[in-house]
Amino acid sequence: MKKILFFVLSIILMTGYAKALDLEYFQVYQPKEGMSADEIMQIKYFNKYTLFAHDVSYTGKAYFIDKSGAVRERSTARKRLNLGRKSDGIAYKDITVITGPTQFKGIGTLSWTYLDPNKEQDVWLYLPSLKKVRKISASEADDSFLGSDFSVEDITSRRFEDENYRLLREENFSGYTSPFNQKTYYKDNPCYVIEATPKRANWYYAKRIIWIDKKYGTNIYEEKYDAKGQKFMYIFRWCQIFNVDGKEFPLIMFQEGEDLRTGHRTVIINETAEINKGIPEDQFTERMLGTSRW
Amino acid sequence: MKKVLLILGLLIFSFSFVYAEFTKDGLTLTGYIKNEAALGTKVHQMQKFKDIVGISGEYKFNENIAFFASFKYWYDHVYSWYGKYDSAQYYMQHIQRNDWLRDCYLDIISGPWFLRLGKQQVAWGQADGIAILDRLNPVDLTEFWLPDAVDLRIPLWMMNINYSPKVNSNLQLLIIPDFEQSTAAPPNAPFAFRSYKLFMDFKQRWESNAWIGGFPPPFLRGDVYTNIYYPAKKFNNSKIGLQWKDRFLGWDYTLNYLYGYDYLARTYNDGNIIGPGGIIHPNYGRKFKLVQMAGGSLNHTFTQEGLLEGITLRSDAAVYLDEPTYYGDPARGSASGVVRWNNIFWLVGLDRNFFTKWTVSFQFAQYILAHETPGIAGHPEYKPLNSYTYGAQDRCENIFSLKIMTKFYNERIKPEVLWSFTDDNQGRVSPKISYEISDHLMATLGWDYFYGNEKDSNGQFRKSNQVYLFLKYSF
Repeated sequence: MKKILFFVLSIILMTGYAKALDLEYFQVYQPKEGMSADEIMQIKYFNKYTLFAHDVSYTGKAYFIDKSGAVRERSTARKRLNLGRKSDGIAYKDITVITGPTQFKGIGTLSWTYLDPNKEQDVWLYLPSLKKVRKISASEADDSFLGSDFSVEDITSRRFEDENYRLLREENFSGYTSPFNQKTYYKDNPCYVIEATPKRANWYYAKRIIWIDKKYGTNIYEEKYDAKGQKFMYIFRWCQIFNVDGKEFPLIMFQEGEDLRTGHRTVIINETAEINKGIPEDQFTERMLGTSRW
Repeated sequence: MKKVLLILGLLIFSFSFVYAEFTKDGLTLTGYIKNEAALGTKVHQMQKFKDIVGISGEYKFNENIAFFASFKYWYDHVYSWYGKYDSAQYYMQHIQRNDWLRDCYLDIISGPWFLRLGKQQVAWGQADGIAILDRLNPVDLTEFWLPDAVDLRIPLWMMNINYSPKVNSNLQLLIIPDFEQSTAAPPNAPFAFRSYKLFMDFKQRWESNAWIGGFPPPFLRGDVYTNIYYPAKKFNNSKIGLQWKDRFLGWDYTLNYLYGYDYLARTYNDGNIIGPGGIIHPNYGRKFKLVQMAGGSLNHTFTQEGLLEGITLRSDAAVYLDEPTYYGDPARGSASGVVRWNNIFWLVGLDRNFFTKWTVSFQFAQYILAHETPGIAGHPEYKPLNSYTYGAQDRCENIFSLKIMTKFYNERIKPEVLWSFTDDNQGRVSPKISYEISDHLMATLGWDYFYGNEKDSNGQFRKSNQVYLFLKYSF
């Protein structure tokens, strides 16, 4: 009897799971009129993790700017291979290497993310001071991403299933002027405004207000609020549209965030991006991570 | 052989740079200047004041071929300030100033093949700070096991051949024709091993006729002879390593095998030599023995929801066949001989991130002498001895380590504490804090506190506790 109940429950859960992931890898999705907040957010996450592409590689820089204006810099090279493979449950693999400054050069991570939203990432770390690849536990979702103002989940691990969503309104975005480069982005751009509340109790934020680009379904701006309703963080993202094989792929090329409690800001710029270059899966192995020369 | 390899390496390196001058692209040069200062808190004396310069260069011929070389030069001023640290000046070159070609190798990738040819270091194990599988390179223990692993290992010329038959698996063959012995601090230096000190004490007392005891009478005591017997420099004496790495049901595992000369020489009593007039010369030979190691590693992160979620398990295990093991009476402070035993070393480590910024790493290891200990060589009082202290070695040594790390201020400040100890009430506590002053400048302030009996690995340094400050400028 227990087995039958377990089987029925599994079927129900799997059906629900399939519904939540009914977007197929390597397709391009854009929001349509009349979509629910959930549907818009599914597209948003699909775009965030570039699941429309087979592979993506970037080189870029991160700037950590404290309240006094002092700047620290990191250069990085990143590659992602999207798999969406049901046989071993792997959604995608990432490899990120710090290429500068010298004192951090060579530090690299390899991570495998699984289709199952309840399954944590597998992560390997290469440390030049050990000249060794070590298996490590995935960072806590609310931990800082590489010392930036973004949390780990802001960049790598937050999923559609982690929050509840409510469509607040549709409006033209007022525009964002970057303190870093003084450019103004997305002025009067039509957006959906969605409220996202975390399913975890006592999480480090109580809600996020997100502005989603109506045309491409990308998250262009968000604000995080604490339990007292106080805004403590904002993140801006600019996407460049790449035309590949007649399809439009939105890639995040500029991100800027500020922790309003500390006045510390982070800017992440992707200087180069390449899509669908046929990166083989053997580039995403422990061996490749361990061949760093630094 | 080594000189030929060195010249060949330098020629390749020079060629690469000359070539790079014309191409400009593909060449990367980096370097650093570092000062390491350590003050002994018990002896109230500097234990280290080392200036280090490191230069690294990489030239990428294309995506699949690259050449890499790094040089390191240092000078530790304390050996000039305090002559007693190395009164015999035997170790001057090694300790005080050394022009080291650290790395010099060519990387070639071709489909499933990856070759790294040249001077390099290779790490096999998953353990932190405990060398169970990491026996491919000799180690520089001038400062015990305190420095980073990358500075502890002494790179060797080798062929590192890898073949990947499928994604995530790798077969590695290492052929190491080069040989260097593991090095240690001279007998009066802050981190000199007790066994080295005892031997030097014996030698000095014997030769200065201060020997306590009646026989032989002073007029029959000649110099103590010590010889070191390196393995013959021929290709047949190459160390051979083989590793298979794969993944099974979400668990990463390796199978490892190593055969070759141990990098640590053991001292053998080769019998007294009777000189003219009946003068007695004690005669000792330091010899390197062929050993085999078979083992493996296993690691896994529990990714599924549940109690174990987020825990990373790491494990190394090895059997050393015919490992030279000292024996003798621990009360005497010297070894009576060496037996060749099959010993086992295994470790399990657990890592977990807690709260938001805290990482805890715990390791438990056992070093097991796979033999009954009483009655070695017919003497009930004889016990296996620790190579570095001549203290009694437990048949089963339980080793623990606990490391707690955190970070603040956008990861600019990183405190951590390491507590490494055994069940013999001896160990080391090493808190430190690193501060990233700028993109190019890093400061590290720390303290090494040793405790325990002088006959134990950590306890022997209980008078060498130190506070240290490292400043590193990289470019």
